[in-house]
Amino acid sequence: MAILTTGFVLSSFNQSSVKAQDHSKKGIVGEHTPGYNLLETVGDVLDPISFNSAEKAIIDPMHYLREFNYGRVSTLSDGVVLREFTLIASDNKVKEISPGIFYNVWTFNGTIPGPTLRATEGDLIRINFINNGSKFHSIHTHGIHKAEMDGVFEGIAPGGKFTYEFIAQPFGVFPYHCHMQPLEEHISHGLYGVYIVDPKTPRPLADEMVMVMNGYDTDFDTENNFYTVNGIPYYYMEHPIQIEQDRLVRVYLVNMLEFDPINNFHLHANMYQLYRSGTNLVPDEYTDMVTMSQGERGILEFKYKFPGQYMFHAHKTEFAEKGWMGLFFVKDSKAPQSNFDDVNDNNTTSSIVYSQNRSKFNLEEVSK
Amino acid sequence: MEKEERSIYRHISGKKLIAFAIIPFVVLTAMILFLFSPIGQSFLNSGVPMPEVTIEKIEFQEGRIVAFIRNTGPVDITVAQADINDRIQLAAIEPSRSLPRLTEAQVIIPFPWNPAEPYEVGITTSDGARFSKNVEAAAQVLTPNVEQVLLFAIIGAYVGIIPIMIGLLWYPFIRRLNTNKYNFFLSLTAGLLVFLGIDAVLESNEIISENVAAIFNGQVLIVMVVIVSFLVLLYASETLTQRAAKKSVSANYSTSSLSSSSASTTSQQQQELIKPLAISLMIAIGIGLHNFGEGLAISAAVLLGKAALGTFLIVGFTLHNTTEGLAIVAPIAKSGQVMIRKLIVMGFIAGAPTIAGAWIGGFLYSPLAAVIFLSVGAGAIFQVVYSIVSWISHTSSRNRKSLINASTIAGFAIGMLIMYTTGLLI
Repeated sequence: MAILTTGFVLSSFNQSSVKAQDHSKKGIVGEHTPGYNLLETVGDVLDPISFNSAEKAIIDPMHYLREFNYGRVSTLSDGVVLREFTLIASDNKVKEISPGIFYNVWTFNGTIPGPTLRATEGDLIRINFINNGSKFHSIHTHGIHKAEMDGVFEGIAPGGKFTYEFIAQPFGVFPYHCHMQPLEEHISHGLYGVYIVDPKTPRPLADEMVMVMNGYDTDFDTENNFYTVNGIPYYYMEHPIQIEQDRLVRVYLVNMLEFDPINNFHLHANMYQLYRSGTNLVPDEYTDMVTMSQGERGILEFKYKFPGQYMFHAHKTEFAEKGWMGLFFVKDSKAPQSNFDDVNDNNTTSSIVYSQNRSKFNLEEVSK
Repeated sequence: MEKEERSIYRHISGKKLIAFAIIPFVVLTAMILFLFSPIGQSFLNSGVPMPEVTIEKIEFQEGRIVAFIRNTGPVDITVAQADINDRIQLAAIEPSRSLPRLTEAQVIIPFPWNPAEPYEVGITTSDGARFSKNVEAAAQVLTPNVEQVLLFAIIGAYVGIIPIMIGLLWYPFIRRLNTNKYNFFLSLTAGLLVFLGIDAVLESNEIISENVAAIFNGQVLIVMVVIVSFLVLLYASETLTQRAAKKSVSANYSTSSLSSSSASTTSQQQQELIKPLAISLMIAIGIGLHNFGEGLAISAAVLLGKAALGTFLIVGFTLHNTTEGLAIVAPIAKSGQVMIRKLIVMGFIAGAPTIAGAWIGGFLYSPLAAVIFLSVGAGAIFQVVYSIVSWISHTSSRNRKSLINASTIAGFAIGMLIMYTTGLLI
């Protein structure tokens, strides 16, 4: 992917250690981009990667990446584990989805994608749904459940509430999304998230992360203007995902892209085991490229042999060049220990899914 | 009634008169201030104002693409991102990313573009709306140097001056024609010119709709400029002929003591001589303005690297412009004395603007300026057509003939046909 690596993305990446991300001050464009002219300007820099301030951003992708919500856990009299979640829909906020671009987002719990729900096969899931929006909304979860829990025919009115209840089955990785009409509108505005069901015997220990591929059609011409993984274009180019050499990485990958019929995930300098839909413990394929249609998903498992920086991106290069690209930073296991926190080891984050301060960026922390 | 009114106004003092003059302005100011006040705004805020950005020009510089943009919408905007071919790019914007109404900015995008390939430049504003403009073939923007200036001057001379001079050579031939045939050629000229006038208006309209924002009311601008230049040139040519006639009359008075009746015949004779000359001059000026537009078109084609198109344009305009020489010659052909020097001057007036057009089109193209030049040209051409038609009707009535006859109609139709046919080569 020479095309991609010669892109302007490198310029920002090389500066990723800087703390102040105020790139739109007067300055220099194309500083480190091979083949591109250096440009000094007395005006403003139009930088598609760096946010001036993270406050108005739709999500903190670094926080989202490894945040799994297991719900409020209790055990019922018959020994079944009950997991209660709260999801609140809203549709009136305008958030920054790419530097300088403000878009009317429709969200579950204030972010795109919504929170990742996680349970073990056989658990009882209870989702307390509150519609804080101005339109009808619902939650349609993929998986096996009763018709009345499907979130299709019973729209929840503005200000209304509904409790979805079903058994987590089968194990795998699933999307959940609003299923109100016009469906394309409700999904493309951002009403979706990931729901993971673990098998009763857990998968091997790994550095686990969620990746949702999506897009934004900001000018409403039924074509996406921006493509992302985890809600913000180019985010992981500026903030590479830190992983460890020789350690198993498990990516729960879901494609929620609207308008474009396909999307894909290509990993550089490596191969991964692909478990389609995550519903099997035997991998379907050993590859570095998976193509998914809307709503399709899978689990990717890989280890990096060599330290360094590696790209991952849509091999549909149009999507990559409109934001769907990122970097893994593989730390040298022989190098002295850094202050990198292994988020995965205590991945029981908040027991309550709904927490309003989730979408705060912490750029300093991330770029350490 | 009228008397009463007059008496009322007579009673108004000077102070009151001034007050009456000022009050409309005060009321207007108050009304405007009210509309912009929060109360006025709350009345008017019923719709959603949509931002609009017009990309007026795209320049391909060494290793970068520069888009000249203007906020042509009803609200202030902030430019957020830029793209090439719908792929997001890092860019700079000068002087600032925030554009108040009608202000302009340059978006500078470092990009290794390839010559002759088509490009689309897009600008996305803070609300996610994207505005774009296509360029058919990228070509390095020219910086004026001696070579380029000479090249365009040679092309301009080749297309503008030489063909017109060739056309002027028909002068002696037209002189010998009888009235019918002469009127045929005059009408032919009118036909040629009408075609050129329409062509200029359509060309302006095309430029306006592709490059100039709707806010400038381009179509109205074209019509306005055409009408105004028509009227101004009409006035100028009338004054010109009248003054010349008067001068010759007064000169006659001073040299001889002729009776008033003979003076008037002399003046008429003079007019017979001066009027066609004025018409020819006006034709030369009108064609000159038209050729300015041709110069713009040629250098634009050369700039775009369309070698084939450039060649065809040059061949086409060369043939086309030979007939323009004929147009200049026709009115003066019957006016007695041979005026070789004047003819050459008029040839230059008509042809030289091609060179200027080529320079301007090549080095500092502005769509709005091009449209104005073309529209002035169209107005001038229509004024000339008017003069020719009145001249034909003048000569026909002297010969007791109707303006509408086989030779004039045929001439007019064939004139337009010639232009259309030679125009196909372009």
